[in-house]
Amino acid sequence: MKELEITTHLTLIVPGKNRSVKNAEKRDKILHGIFLAIVYIFIIIFAFVVLLPFYYMIAASFMVEDQLNSGAFFPSLANIFETIANNYTHTISNPSFPYGELLLNTLIVGIVTTASSLLVTILSAFAFAKLHFKGKEVLFTIFLATMMIPGEMMAITNFTTMANLGFVSADQNRLQTYLALILPFVSNVFYIYLLRQTFMQIPNELYLASKVDGKSDWQYLWKVMVPLSSSTLITIFIMNFIESWNSYVWPNLVILNDDYNVLSIALRSTTFQVLEHEVWRPVYTQQMAATVLTTVPLLLLFIFFRKYIMRGVERAGIKG
Amino acid sequence: MEIKLVALTKKYPGDVKKGIKDTVAVDNLSIDIKDGELLGLLGPSGCGKSTTLYMIAGLKDPTSGEIYFDDEDVTDLEAEKRGIGLVFQNYALYPHMTVYKNIAFPLTNLRVSAPKKAYKALSYKLILDVISDRERLKKATLKSEIDGKITKDNAALYIAYEYSISKYLAKKIFSLGLHDDNNKDKVDEYKTYFEKKLQEEKEKINSKQKKIDDNFVYLDENNNPLIVKRKLTKDEIDRLILDVARLVQIDEYLDRKPAELSGGQQQRVAIARALVKKPRVLLLDEPLSNLDARLRIKTREEIKRIQRETNITTIFVTHDQEEAMSICDDIVVMKDGKMMQFGAPQDVYKNPSDLFVAKFLGNPPINVFKGYIKDDAVFIGDEKIMHLDHKENYRDCYVGIRPEAFIFEHDKEYHLTLNIDSIQSTGKDTSLICSHPQFVGDQLKVVIDSDSNPVLGKKDFALKYSKVYLFDMKDEKRIEL
Amino acid sequence: MERKNNYKAWLYLAPILIFIFLFTIFPIINTFIISFLKNYNYATGANEGFTFENYGLILGITERIPGVSESKMLDFIRYALPNTLLITFVSVPISVILALVISILLNKIKVLHDLFQTIFFLPYVTNTIAVGMVFAIIFSNTGLFNNIFGLGNVNWVQEGLGSTWGKCMFVLCLYVIWTGLPFKILIFSSALHNIDQQYYDAARIDATPKWKTDLKIVLPLISPQILYITITSFITGFKEYNAIIGLFNRSYTINPNVHDLYTVVYYIYDQIQGTNGTRHLEYAAAGAVVLFVIILIFTLIQMKVAKKRVHY
Repeated sequence: MKELEITTHLTLIVPGKNRSVKNAEKRDKILHGIFLAIVYIFIIIFAFVVLLPFYYMIAASFMVEDQLNSGAFFPSLANIFETIANNYTHTISNPSFPYGELLLNTLIVGIVTTASSLLVTILSAFAFAKLHFKGKEVLFTIFLATMMIPGEMMAITNFTTMANLGFVSADQNRLQTYLALILPFVSNVFYIYLLRQTFMQIPNELYLASKVDGKSDWQYLWKVMVPLSSSTLITIFIMNFIESWNSYVWPNLVILNDDYNVLSIALRSTTFQVLEHEVWRPVYTQQMAATVLTTVPLLLLFIFFRKYIMRGVERAGIKG
Repeated sequence: MEIKLVALTKKYPGDVKKGIKDTVAVDNLSIDIKDGELLGLLGPSGCGKSTTLYMIAGLKDPTSGEIYFDDEDVTDLEAEKRGIGLVFQNYALYPHMTVYKNIAFPLTNLRVSAPKKAYKALSYKLILDVISDRERLKKATLKSEIDGKITKDNAALYIAYEYSISKYLAKKIFSLGLHDDNNKDKVDEYKTYFEKKLQEEKEKINSKQKKIDDNFVYLDENNNPLIVKRKLTKDEIDRLILDVARLVQIDEYLDRKPAELSGGQQQRVAIARALVKKPRVLLLDEPLSNLDARLRIKTREEIKRIQRETNITTIFVTHDQEEAMSICDDIVVMKDGKMMQFGAPQDVYKNPSDLFVAKFLGNPPINVFKGYIKDDAVFIGDEKIMHLDHKENYRDCYVGIRPEAFIFEHDKEYHLTLNIDSIQSTGKDTSLICSHPQFVGDQLKVVIDSDSNPVLGKKDFALKYSKVYLFDMKDEKRIEL
Repeated sequence: MERKNNYKAWLYLAPILIFIFLFTIFPIINTFIISFLKNYNYATGANEGFTFENYGLILGITERIPGVSESKMLDFIRYALPNTLLITFVSVPISVILALVISILLNKIKVLHDLFQTIFFLPYVTNTIAVGMVFAIIFSNTGLFNNIFGLGNVNWVQEGLGSTWGKCMFVLCLYVIWTGLPFKILIFSSALHNIDQQYYDAARIDATPKWKTDLKIVLPLISPQILYITITSFITGFKEYNAIIGLFNRSYTINPNVHDLYTVVYYIYDQIQGTNGTRHLEYAAAGAVVLFVIILIFTLIQMKVAKKRVHY
């Protein structure tokens, strides 16, 4: 029986002694360089597209109307400071866009929502991570299951609840408005999940050691667990705050009294316009100044806490 | 193939601003590795042994020095062109591919110089050869029976092995159904059919003014086999995989995913993947570190067997001296990027060139005492343990004594008195945990015959001088007297 | 100790239980019930009993005035649902593939890697409404987009002022892709980053061409993340709303009765807010339940595929 005899005839192609390895190496290096250059070009193009809206938001707020309406890419440098001052003063003096007031409302709602949510989250994550009680697994599974249900289902009933409590009405007062904005967002299952994971990573020996030292659960939670989990807590705080700052749907439903408006609602509902030849004409440069004023605080937050935010989102993705 | 490392050095530049110094992972390393040898690179973690391996593989660039494969300088050659096989510490099997595909993967990238063949005609010839002996085919097919059932895949595998043909061809042959006694009389029918086909193919080739030899290899004008650069065919790849799978004994698992295999089986797959492309060198990076103790001993024998059968020059990196000692032809003991000693494992063990090597090899490890040489004798504490036949100047030294160098019952003049603290018997021999004021190290261990009857307390031991070594206090080099 | 923990644990859980019951669990049940109530009055809770009519109405099956087929409500079935599916099925595949390409490219560079990673993540932090308005400016008839590509005076975003449903959808999909990229890129990048270097080394030793390494080794290795991202993007796609408001505002048409840019969620909120002065929470509830069912189906598909994929 004859065999296929591949093995005996098989020789790898390896560069012969006469072939210049150095030259091949040189060629490979050049090819690699070209390849890398192409990669960078693509990345830079993509980065440009991603950054364009941010750039144009700022650029547009530095333009005079005629420039913006001609689709200019760069603001003209002539009288640029006057243009900026003009755009921004008009924007914040617009009665529908009282920037200071809006900023205050947005900040208060954001901070109170985030702080109360964090408190509730810490307590429950501790119970789920370290304490024993009947039905723990079942309860946690129910919690997780609610994450799957679209928020719109909650919004409908929450709206009636807030209306029935008298918080949603044309003559709502400041406190009522804030409560209507805050209460539905105190509980957030995803953050409980995230913090529970962190708490569970803290070795149980620490817990037993603190018991031996005579610390109560309460002391242990605040003196040991919370400081050790500070980076997760910061992540949760920032993500939660960003969410609150950017929310539009719910505030749009429950704020009926414009005195207590928040930024994103006012930004969308305000029409920046001038009366010209007895016709109201929109002024988009001022609108862009308003978007800058709405967006920049968040961008600053992002720049300072970049690591926490990106790490948090990464963890959020890994859970799947 | 011989491998030569010449003054190989790898430096990692530090950062002056951050106050990080340059680190030298491999320092001026020169080794000659003989053809077909199994060489162990041995040393504690961080000694540069893996870095050396990765430089030979081409995955790390040396800072200076050269690497030769035979006479060829491969220092600047890309890893993919070196024709090496590398088994990674964690195997790096592709989790989404079956074992078969894992092993096939390197082959699909390969371009080879190989004779051009008339595949169609060859396959008809092979079919004819197989069906000409129906009994043998039947026997091979029946061997594949599991629980009274014969599946096409399994039968094809057995037929492929029996005749050294590819699984694809074996499948075709199996589906003719000739193993079945009911089809006995069809053999001649098929024979005529395939003979006709073969004849047609041959005529076709002739009509194109091309020549083939008896092995269906195309011939050039001078009637030499026509060698072309080409990719491997599916059948050739299959043949290579089946061969290597049988060599490392994983032929049963070819259709499984790596996650469905045990650590030892994954290890074999990794070796098969490295071997299948007929590498010039096989490199193994701590291949046993992920296996449990029992499997480790079995697998290292297996590696030795595979290496013997293939006779490929093999370099094996390990931190476990026992592993290296048991299977390597030669070992290189490394420390801080430097070669401390090179040689056959037993030679290195018997003749350590310095204290580090002496301490690193041997289990239980060598016992080290502080001693001194005075006049014509070696002392530990007040005790004269060894007599020299000439006078020496006074010097302090370390005295290394292998655990098995102690003689329990003796009538010798020179001896060393130890305090026996505890006695452990393993059946084969007896270990004594002792203490001595001049001893440096964790545990003073003496291994003696199980026939002896030690008791706790002071006891003097004579020494086998072939297992006693003296080292300089300062540079820790061996003192030869 | 176990027993003591038992009641104490409930003390720690008390706040979350109160909030989650009042604002999550109860609303889910209640909304489900509302979706089956006829002529539900949100202020008084009054209704005319159990009915399937709400579903029939929003799905355009039931006639509001029996016998008059023109009285069917078709906004949901004609606009909201098709638009939502269109946005989802166009933007998700494109953005997933784009994110993969960017992540793989990003994984190949070392210099400035972190800077680019940050840039690509930036849209995640921003206000969808605000940047939507910027997009609207860029795509306005005298805007940057027309200027750069020399398209003249095309209106992309103002329906009734020159734009059409198709153009609006084009810009909308573009914007949805833009907002979806950062999360995907971050997840893919970290998945790529976590691939053991040994796989790359093994591929190199085996002389695998770069494209083949990416296609045959890297992509399969991050397939769990690709699957996860694809499914979650579908779910977010189904809930698209803010992007539309940002781009087109609520008053995007001249005719207040035309809602051809509705999405499912947009429809739901318009019903809560009331289109003609009356709020129809029962329609909103029915719409939300339909949305829930769609999302449920996709989540189940994910779980099923994930099970198969666990061992690769």
